[in-house]
Amino acid sequence: MNVRQVQKFVLAYLEATGSQLIEKSPNHITVKLSPEADRALTGRPFYWSFIDNTGTVPETMTYSWMFGKSPPPQAGVPATPLTSLLTPSGRVSREEIYFGSRRLNQFFDAVRQTGRCVTLFEEPPRGVRDPLRSAPYTAWLGVNFKVGYECDMKREELYGWGISLATGIIDEKFFERLDQAKLSPRLPPNIHLLKNGISLRKAMSQLEHALERKLKTSDFAWAEEAEERRREERKRIKGYYGPQLERASDDPDQSAALQARMRQRLEEIDWQYRPRVGVSVVNCGIFHLPGLQ
Amino acid sequence: MNTLDPLPSGMYPAPETTGAAAIADVSAPPPAEAPARFIHPLVELRFDRSAFEDLERRVQRNGPWDDWTMFRLAREAEEAALVTDFHELQCLRALPAFEPMAHQVDTARRVLHEMRGRAILADEVGLGKTIEAGLILKEYWVRGLVKKALILVPASLVLQWVRELGQKFDLPAVPQKRLHSWQNDIVVASMDTAKREPNRQILLDNEYDMLIVDEAHKLKNKRTTNYQFVSQLRKKYCLLLTATPIQNDMGELYNLITLLKPGQLGEEGEFNSNFVKGRREAKNEDKLQENLGQLMIRNRRSDGGVQFTRRFVTNVPLVLSPEEMALYEGVTNYIKQHAYAENGDLASMLSLVTLQREVCSSRDAVFLTLVNLFKKTAEDSPLRARIWELVELIRQIQANTKAEKTMELIQGIGDKAIVFTEYRATQEYLLRFFREHGLQAVPYRGGMNRGKKDWMMDLFRRRAQVMIATEAGGEGINLQFCHHIVNFDLPWNPMRVEQRIGRVHRLGQTEDVKIFNLCTLGTIEEHIVHLLHEKINLFESVIGELDDIVERLEREESWERRMAKMVLESEGDEDLRRRMDSLGNTVLQARGRSREEAGRT
Repeated sequence: MNVRQVQKFVLAYLEATGSQLIEKSPNHITVKLSPEADRALTGRPFYWSFIDNTGTVPETMTYSWMFGKSPPPQAGVPATPLTSLLTPSGRVSREEIYFGSRRLNQFFDAVRQTGRCVTLFEEPPRGVRDPLRSAPYTAWLGVNFKVGYECDMKREELYGWGISLATGIIDEKFFERLDQAKLSPRLPPNIHLLKNGISLRKAMSQLEHALERKLKTSDFAWAEEAEERRREERKRIKGYYGPQLERASDDPDQSAALQARMRQRLEEIDWQYRPRVGVSVVNCGIFHLPGLQ
Repeated sequence: MNTLDPLPSGMYPAPETTGAAAIADVSAPPPAEAPARFIHPLVELRFDRSAFEDLERRVQRNGPWDDWTMFRLAREAEEAALVTDFHELQCLRALPAFEPMAHQVDTARRVLHEMRGRAILADEVGLGKTIEAGLILKEYWVRGLVKKALILVPASLVLQWVRELGQKFDLPAVPQKRLHSWQNDIVVASMDTAKREPNRQILLDNEYDMLIVDEAHKLKNKRTTNYQFVSQLRKKYCLLLTATPIQNDMGELYNLITLLKPGQLGEEGEFNSNFVKGRREAKNEDKLQENLGQLMIRNRRSDGGVQFTRRFVTNVPLVLSPEEMALYEGVTNYIKQHAYAENGDLASMLSLVTLQREVCSSRDAVFLTLVNLFKKTAEDSPLRARIWELVELIRQIQANTKAEKTMELIQGIGDKAIVFTEYRATQEYLLRFFREHGLQAVPYRGGMNRGKKDWMMDLFRRRAQVMIATEAGGEGINLQFCHHIVNFDLPWNPMRVEQRIGRVHRLGQTEDVKIFNLCTLGTIEEHIVHLLHEKINLFESVIGELDDIVERLEREESWERRMAKMVLESEGDEDLRRRMDSLGNTVLQARGRSREEAGRT
């Protein structure tokens, strides 16, 4: 994410949460957070439980966020990212936001929490429709999958796939298609929803199976290499403990202790190297789109 | 609105589990209802559907539904944070205003890709082992491979580590303070705290994706509780940091490596027959080096790439005023006589030598010691009168020659300067003296708490021209913005002198560093300056080179004690000079040997 993307992301979040922009320049913004944003970003659970329990009017925080890296601080100067200044309107905390900063990661966590499950309708194009005829809409299950290939290293991929609940057709570019669409949480007038042919759960299984088939065709050299490393490490450990165990064979106490240590080392090796793939759902939703698919 | 019902346990364990769950995965078969799926003969596949189950629940309850913008931002966030490649360092694009050096990045890469996260980082002092460890931790952190890390360091370095990881790497490291601190994701603790109950058991019951041990050469003996504790900890990745070249002792080397990768050098018997010639001597050197190279990285200054600015040393000779000299002579005579009278009580004799050094610093320093000595001496002792005579001599002294000279020096420098002294009383005196002469100075000493130290450093940076410090070692005093050092008096131990200079002359110093040693002629100080400067050439030698040598010498007897004995036993200036030269020669020979060794590896 470059500076501009970070800025765009932050602004989009602030707008969606109804936070109030006080100042804006190409490189910074000053913003008074909305209660929703404040809860998600400021880490003040006690304050908010106090507000919730007493019904007091909340006083949300104001931040001045600088985008992009400032020049590196002079050697020896502790880089304090947070300073606060007093202004007539109250205390303003100044921070830098850049990719990798804790603050941006907080934004990321916040949207993961609040952008998890949706139900949406595509708005029909205006003016071209016959007001007497109702347009058919199909429900789709759209899922963003994150795939992690993991051993002692890790690599990830994202898949944004959709499946029609009417026909079971799978669209591998589902969310790219949606980028062009106008979506709204409200049911548009003059449409009718087609009956779902398959259940949500079944659709999900089909998506998962399709994804699994796709992943199966990928290159597993990384896993074979990791397995090779794992075997070697195990051999090394056994070579180390083996002779010791032999020597201790007539001392049950020492033998047990050695066994336990060896087991622990072997478990650590498995933990570190065993190749595995994990698929998690980032977020998902039901999308009602015009058409008969 | 987003509170989730607890997941059905065991059904779909999240792939991004903590180490604890991950290790459980391999030891216990998953529950029967969710048989492991294999996507490849070697590779297990797991689905985490929790967000989908959330969707189903919300469908049943008809909402609530999240916002489309948030939904898209969530995908965007995932895309931005996605680790698309096994190898490319992700942490580099996520680092705030800080640029690691080439050898540090290179080290991180090798540890990640060749050593698979288990390594000994053995750079020479000052090349940034902490930075390397931070890079590696950050990389695993960004990739989600480390979610829980434990960092064990000497107590004095805990806060420095926490701040370094926070400021440079934006990692949420916390210092261990109470029991619940252990729950944090990245905890920095002292080894002594960690191995004490109940902490010990908590840590052993836990599992750490990454364990970092600083000053790991202290783990060389496998019978110590430290060693056994670290050995028992469950860890995935593990970094051991040490500046002391561990090759010096074959047994210790073997132990340290066994901690990291048991069997790397073979089983103990094999190791002994393959590699050990003597306690400090290896055979099959090439093969040993090759083996070590697979899990140890030692960057050296001589490898180049790291540029230090130069050091300029000036000795500032002074002549004490007649009154000061009278006091010095008085104290010296007292020591000589007293030392003979004492007859063998070395400890109290050694403390007498301190008196002599203090006279060279300030009358304030010596006054306090004399008063204490007076109180300790029996009332009927004839020594009392002698001590009192010395106190009377102090009264005669009206001015401090050294302080005046220092004042002159600093005015000549016209820039920030740090003045080091060994004595609190001198520090107090100088503060007063400078203030009276309109020079802003701040104190710095070991007993100050962290906050006060930071405050003093900050004042020095922003306001004061001078810092007067009694302590150079320990943590966190990095003063690269200053490049003038005045040694008001010199410690006897070269390591401590080096620590002083190291506060200023370190990575990040952009100017040449100027060092001034005040040296009162005709006193013991002259001998010390001679030994450290002219003989050992300490001030201009390669940083870190002497550490090891002095440490080895100190195994037999502490440096200070050696020196004090020389002073007491010598029969005059000539003799003292000879004795000091011979100690200097010992150091020089050891340095010659170690340079030869370095040349070979």
